[in-house]
Amino acid sequence: MLLSSKLIALHQLRNISYLRSIAPQNIEEKTMLNELLFKFATWLDGFQSSTNLHEAIYAYGWVEGTHVLTLTLFLGMLLVIDLRLLGVAFKELPASTLVERLDKPMMVGFVIMLISGALLFYAIPVRSTQSIWFRVKVVFILAAGINALLIRNMTRASDMSWDNDPVPPKRIRVGAAMSLGLWILVVASGRNMAYDWWDCHKEMPHFMYWAAGCVNELAAFE
Amino acid sequence: MDIVFIFEWLDASWLSDLARTSAGLFSMVQAVHILSMIMLCGMIILGDLRMLNVVLTGVPSAVIIQNTKKWIYIGLAGIILSGIYESSAIAMKLATNSFFWAKMAGLAMGIIFMLSVRSAVYSRAPEVIGSNGSQSDPVDAWVVKLVAVAHLFIWFSVAANGRWIGFS
Repeated sequence: MLLSSKLIALHQLRNISYLRSIAPQNIEEKTMLNELLFKFATWLDGFQSSTNLHEAIYAYGWVEGTHVLTLTLFLGMLLVIDLRLLGVAFKELPASTLVERLDKPMMVGFVIMLISGALLFYAIPVRSTQSIWFRVKVVFILAAGINALLIRNMTRASDMSWDNDPVPPKRIRVGAAMSLGLWILVVASGRNMAYDWWDCHKEMPHFMYWAAGCVNELAAFE
Repeated sequence: MDIVFIFEWLDASWLSDLARTSAGLFSMVQAVHILSMIMLCGMIILGDLRMLNVVLTGVPSAVIIQNTKKWIYIGLAGIILSGIYESSAIAMKLATNSFFWAKMAGLAMGIIFMLSVRSAVYSRAPEVIGSNGSQSDPVDAWVVKLVAVAHLFIWFSVAANGRWIGFS
């Protein structure tokens, strides 16, 4: 047991040496970002309402339930649009009809999801900030947002001559496939937040401590 | 009828062993369960909101309902298969869980309602809702809307009870 702990520590020290050797300044900047995020999370955690929401069985349950159920509205409408843009469903309807007219219910779902998600973060700010899955989820959400903007720009730039075609052009289909893929990853990483596999109190490689933003554990290495 | 033996059998099965020992696989199946729910409920919401004249008004409802069918069945299959796998990990706990039974009752009701009442009523939607051209024997518009609201409510209860299993 002692030997394995020493081996893990040695392995982690090697990771530190390696990381320092490749780009020390870059690492320090990113560690500073981790510290800023940790301070922000700790500040939020200090509010009594944050603790109250976390400890309120029904209120927390309803907020989380709303977050999950609203997925069906937001991602459900997005699925319909993406399936049409992939050319596998609703082929009888012009693509623009679905994109334009499902935009509003989709955005209603997105706003509710965003508000309930912010409340969930507010209830458990420190653990969420130091969750590798939460961080991965945020990255995928940003990527999905950029992808959505690219698709929108592509459709606006085109003359929409393919609007009534059962199968849209390849670049549109690739964008729709990426949209579906990214949102699947968002859902999967969101679901994995419930697990403590890579929580800060676990033994793991130095890189994972850094990626999860475990500032106290990182400080212990110094 | 006592059906606890089904849960006892599931609890002792290899599926249960796999679900308990493979945390990574279990989390992936949980994600599949949620994604299937999104597909199923998303298509149901689209169809029912269309019949309530909330979205895609003026677009023939028959086209919408026909296109959603395949994806509803895929979502349903995904939910049931992943649900069985998830249940196997805590089969004996679920046997006495009220939310689980509420969810199962809702699921059965939702499937029966969807395949019988909803299907029959939506195919006879009046022109004012369906936009499918004149029907020979249309039902009243309020009947269509009542069926849409009832159907949405049933599936909402299934999803909400499912979510609440985790808290109980």
